[in-house]
Amino acid sequence: MKLYFKSLGMHLKAELEYRVNFILSFLSQILIFFTSYFVIIALFTKFDNIKGFTMYEVLLCFSIIQFGFAFNEVFARGIDRFDKLIIKGDFDRLLLRPKSIILQVLCSDSDFVKTARIIQAIIVLIIAIMNLSIHWNIMKVITLILMLISACVIFFGIFLVAASYCFYTVQGLEVRNVFTDGGKHMAQYPIGVFSKGFVVFFTFIIPYAFVNYYPLLYLLGKLDSPIYGLSPLLVIIYLIPCIIIFYMGMKRYSSVGS
Amino acid sequence: MSFIEVKQISKTFRVAKKKSGLKEAFKSFIKREYLDVVAVDDISFSIEKGEIVGYIGPNGAGKSTTIKILSGILNPDSGECKIAGMTPWKERVKYVKKIGVVFGQKSQLWWDIPAEDTFDLLKDIYDIPEEEYQATKKDLIKRLNLEDIINIPVRQLSLGQRMRCEIAASLLHNPEILFLDEPTIGLDAVSKQLVRDFIKKLNKEKKTTIILTSHDMSDITTLAKRIILIGKGKVLYDGSLKKLRDKYDTETHVNIRTKDKLSIRKKGITSKNKTRDGYELVVNTKILSISELLMNLSKKILIDDIDIEQDTIDHIIVKLYEDYKI
Repeated sequence: MKLYFKSLGMHLKAELEYRVNFILSFLSQILIFFTSYFVIIALFTKFDNIKGFTMYEVLLCFSIIQFGFAFNEVFARGIDRFDKLIIKGDFDRLLLRPKSIILQVLCSDSDFVKTARIIQAIIVLIIAIMNLSIHWNIMKVITLILMLISACVIFFGIFLVAASYCFYTVQGLEVRNVFTDGGKHMAQYPIGVFSKGFVVFFTFIIPYAFVNYYPLLYLLGKLDSPIYGLSPLLVIIYLIPCIIIFYMGMKRYSSVGS
Repeated sequence: MSFIEVKQISKTFRVAKKKSGLKEAFKSFIKREYLDVVAVDDISFSIEKGEIVGYIGPNGAGKSTTIKILSGILNPDSGECKIAGMTPWKERVKYVKKIGVVFGQKSQLWWDIPAEDTFDLLKDIYDIPEEEYQATKKDLIKRLNLEDIINIPVRQLSLGQRMRCEIAASLLHNPEILFLDEPTIGLDAVSKQLVRDFIKKLNKEKKTTIILTSHDMSDITTLAKRIILIGKGKVLYDGSLKKLRDKYDTETHVNIRTKDKLSIRKKGITSKNKTRDGYELVVNTKILSISELLMNLSKKILIDDIDIEQDTIDHIIVKLYEDYKI
């Protein structure tokens, strides 16, 4: 853990070497990503709800997913950019060091400019919460925190699986974006607005539904059982096969090479 | 049991066959043909603690693959390998603490920050105790002459400076074995000399076992007493440099400047060429000694100038490659 924070510090140091670039990128990130929030706002000036979800409810869902995604872009950048590590041959170097490979990949890169998105997501989250009349109690606070954590966890898992793809080939990397970016865009809306097939897919294959649908319903009082509030915990189980897949890929790498 | 034991290691890569042309591209899209490329074929050798071994061969001979197997990055298809009692690719985390690897063509230093920051990070990666780390770092800074460059962002360093930092980074954890993959590539004469001297001292004082690959034969001659030559994935020669010299270094080029006409036919002279201002003779010194040749020549012609040139190790290697058809 100490190692991870130390390398984070070094990445920050390296990024700050290019000061102007850092500031400009930071600002542009803020601008670009507010536009995606405006899309939702524009949508709701036409319709006052989507399948029973109001604008602030969707924004709540949206910001949680954005938060999880941006969090990984900052703190697990190395996994997102894993193809670079393989192509440049730097992955070999990691294999020569006596630490867990996933930890080292995490240490290998980070992108502090994207903290802009985290900040945005938090701002939008606060705005959404203030405009929703949620009957708060301890359980609901826990649910909200779990939703945020599980959003980070689920994208970490997805990034990990996407990274494992690089052990097999570094061509056609767009395929993995279907699951990372594509999944993100789907999950920004409450899964319930989509048809049944999608709900099943995003419950059992990629469990977005446990991040921002079932707990959301509980939070909004549309479902009563607190079990739904705890459903984000299931996402942690999802992480296990993701890690196994990654290590399987690694084994293949060391027998095939690049 | 030697310190490094490699037994019958083989490694084959599957490479997708690619032919040129759009039609072929479509064909291979539907049905891929694979080509098995044997990178390393039944290689065995053993190395004792404290040896410096030059591992040489032409491009694509399997040098890098062997280094990757020995350092635990790749696992071979078959064969055994025990280094310091461990199998590299099976006990990765424990094993890599004992080795240091320098890739001349790849950097392990962070590009945008000073080398010292990378060193600090390596301290945590290898869990080096603070005291030991400070002592080793100080020692390396002194030996590799790094005081002035250690605080400059790596991207601003010259290649020679960077390579010195690179070597220091690989030695912070006091490895027992050091793999050097073309450590002097692209360096100027002064940097080369510095790196070589350092490696020599390191081996002498710390008994570090060193495996060195290089295309620069003077690296090999100054550092390694023993060489292993591989070609097409097989070990072709394993032994002392001196023996190799004795075996192959029998030809001597004699350049004579003279205005006279020379007609000489003697056993031991393998070729005679007329040059612009004289003759070039290639002599097999095992049959005809140089002094005998000179005596003979001085009787026949007036020699203005003479230049005797022994085969360099580069020539020997080229000859070796030719002999083995690689």
